[in-house]
Amino acid sequence: MVKILIVEQSYLVRKGIIHILKQFPEIANIEILGSHLGVEEVLEHFMPDILIINTSLASLIADEKLKGLLSDSSRVIYVIGTALPYESPENQFSVFDSKISITRKLAPYIKGAGKIKEPEESEELTPREKLILKNVALGRTNKEIATLLHISTHTVISHRKNITRKLDIKSVSGLTVYAIINGLIKMDDIS
Amino acid sequence: MRIHAKMKMADLVQFNFEILAVIQRLQIPFGFKDKSIETVCRESSINVDFFLQLAQWFNERENFPQQQLIDHPPHWLVTYLHNTHQCYINYQIPRIEKEIEQLESMTEIPDQTAALMIRFFKEYIKEFSEHLDDEEQVTFPYVLDLEKAINGEMTSEQFRDKYSEYSIDKYLDHHSDLEEKIFDMQSILLKYMSPPSDNCHFTNLLLEFYRLGKDLKDHTILEENVLIPKVRQMEAELKKRPSFF
Repeated sequence: MVKILIVEQSYLVRKGIIHILKQFPEIANIEILGSHLGVEEVLEHFMPDILIINTSLASLIADEKLKGLLSDSSRVIYVIGTALPYESPENQFSVFDSKISITRKLAPYIKGAGKIKEPEESEELTPREKLILKNVALGRTNKEIATLLHISTHTVISHRKNITRKLDIKSVSGLTVYAIINGLIKMDDIS
Repeated sequence: MRIHAKMKMADLVQFNFEILAVIQRLQIPFGFKDKSIETVCRESSINVDFFLQLAQWFNERENFPQQQLIDHPPHWLVTYLHNTHQCYINYQIPRIEKEIEQLESMTEIPDQTAALMIRFFKEYIKEFSEHLDDEEQVTFPYVLDLEKAINGEMTSEQFRDKYSEYSIDKYLDHHSDLEEKIFDMQSILLKYMSPPSDNCHFTNLLLEFYRLGKDLKDHTILEENVLIPKVRQMEAELKKRPSFF
């Protein structure tokens, strides 16, 4: 499911954006900020797929900082306080745009983010993912797992992301509980 | 419904029971009779705007009064956060702990699974307590002293000597995510445990987790979007003062 962070100072505009977003069943979670204060902390723990931010607030945060905090697959859409010319960039909309026009602009982003997160494959773990999970549950670090299985750390991280998405479990101790319940490792293995 | 100072406090609570959390955390005593919000707040020495902003936020989640809350004296928020901690430590966490321990007596749940959940939760309590202790012992006193330094109740030199090694960034370095494990517990109970016959107990446990997770999320919003920006503002202001160096 898609997660969106809105950073917009106007109450009316925020309400309007939320109203438009509620048309999309793919959206699971919307977080809202009324200023740039605290954006970094929220980005870090919320990890939105799409950031919708007013340009005047975006200009208060350094570009590199923003990029560093967003994951590779997340997208940024800018809200502009003035009217936009007819063929403006796809990742911008104006507060004067119609509902239909804003919905059209947002749709590809939301569908796109939904697809990345929910491929049509089953939610079952693959044998490879089970192997990775087993090692995580045994307390091994990404680096150790990479060496052990002769793969790159990057691959381990990408497997771990998929595991977390499929199972809805983020923490190592949570994954350990899952691994034991499902017989991937034994209780004695972790003590 | 529009929440305003002249409405009756009891009506407000009837209208939205979640606001009880705000009342508890500001330590406003019950027994409202027909008193207005304004009167109840005055009698408890609580700033009525501060109360209204929190109550309105509880009532309309999409409208967080960030700037207004930042503009208040930080010790109001620190007291609120401190009282929230007390509520977790003395009430919510022990209650969930007890409920989890009862899993052991549920025959359809394998002993090992129950033991595992208890272990997972005990580990969480430890982490939770450490997190709260750190805030109570280090961060909150720092914020309160910083406020005193800004107001001139403590000299810049005294402040600098006391906190030469500390700034709010230090706190953020090891600020762990307390909601994460709660949501993990929820997933495990809901999706991966064998279905128990004592549905009532199990459902209740899930509801407790849901409530705590939601509450922790509010707590994080107040810390990340009000307390930290406010502290950063004060740190910057103090540094600008010539006497600081």
